[in-house]
Amino acid sequence: MIDYSALLYDPLYAELGVPATLDAGTAGEVAITVIDATRRKSATAGSLEVRSVGPSAFARIPELTAKGIARADYRDSMLSFNGRTWTVYSYELTGNPNGEDFGEVRFMLRDGQVIPPEPEPETA
Amino acid sequence: MSDVRDDILARLTEVVAAIPNLKSSYRNNVDITEDDLPAVVVFDGDEETGEVQNRASNSPMLVSMTPEIVLVEMTEGQIGTELTVMRRALIRLVLSDTELNALVAKTSPRGEAAIRYLGSQTDVGWMRSLHGALRAQFLFKYMLKPDEL
Repeated sequence: MIDYSALLYDPLYAELGVPATLDAGTAGEVAITVIDATRRKSATAGSLEVRSVGPSAFARIPELTAKGIARADYRDSMLSFNGRTWTVYSYELTGNPNGEDFGEVRFMLRDGQVIPPEPEPETA
Repeated sequence: MSDVRDDILARLTEVVAAIPNLKSSYRNNVDITEDDLPAVVVFDGDEETGEVQNRASNSPMLVSMTPEIVLVEMTEGQIGTELTVMRRALIRLVLSDTELNALVAKTSPRGEAAIRYLGSQTDVGWMRSLHGALRAQFLFKYMLKPDEL
């Protein structure tokens, strides 16, 4: 059986992943790697189309489990990456031939807040 | 020449633009972005006459027009409450607008003209935040006089 984590996810996350912080309450703030999956999204109301984005991010379940983040912690956790902090309102599991616990989770995000930049250090 | 249909729709667009806290208002714009929200869009309505009487083809006829007004908002708060607040202002502004009522009333000295609120439907869904839309329909009854078009 192919090890999807070693052969597929790890190289992908090494190339496309960005550092993130997941604050899931009981486990505290945990550093993880996510792939930004924010995509365009629109909604229709009669003839009207409203364009926006649907923010989301992929993470590896084995990494989350190893760092003490259980599935029950996902919802309402805070995820920070790429300059914004988001609330996880839902999630979906992608599944995996090695078993769902070895696959990815896609965090569905809402209400992003821009993280203010670090102040420049004062020069003497 | 005058076309009461377009006079009503133009005035309706002005009236709904007065709903408090809107960021944008449009007539027949089918494509907006989250930066426009909260927004209101007026869509020109269907016309029906129901005329079956054996009269001259250019006789005045009573027309029912049903424009649709869409209120759209995206919020980190309770979208249902925000849409309800906008809906309340919408209904009050449209039904009590003196100019709109005068526009339909003047077409029918016998008092057959009218403005009525027909109802509304809501849609909600996730985008960057919780997004909601309320589609409201109004009925405008007025006398169409072909010889004055």
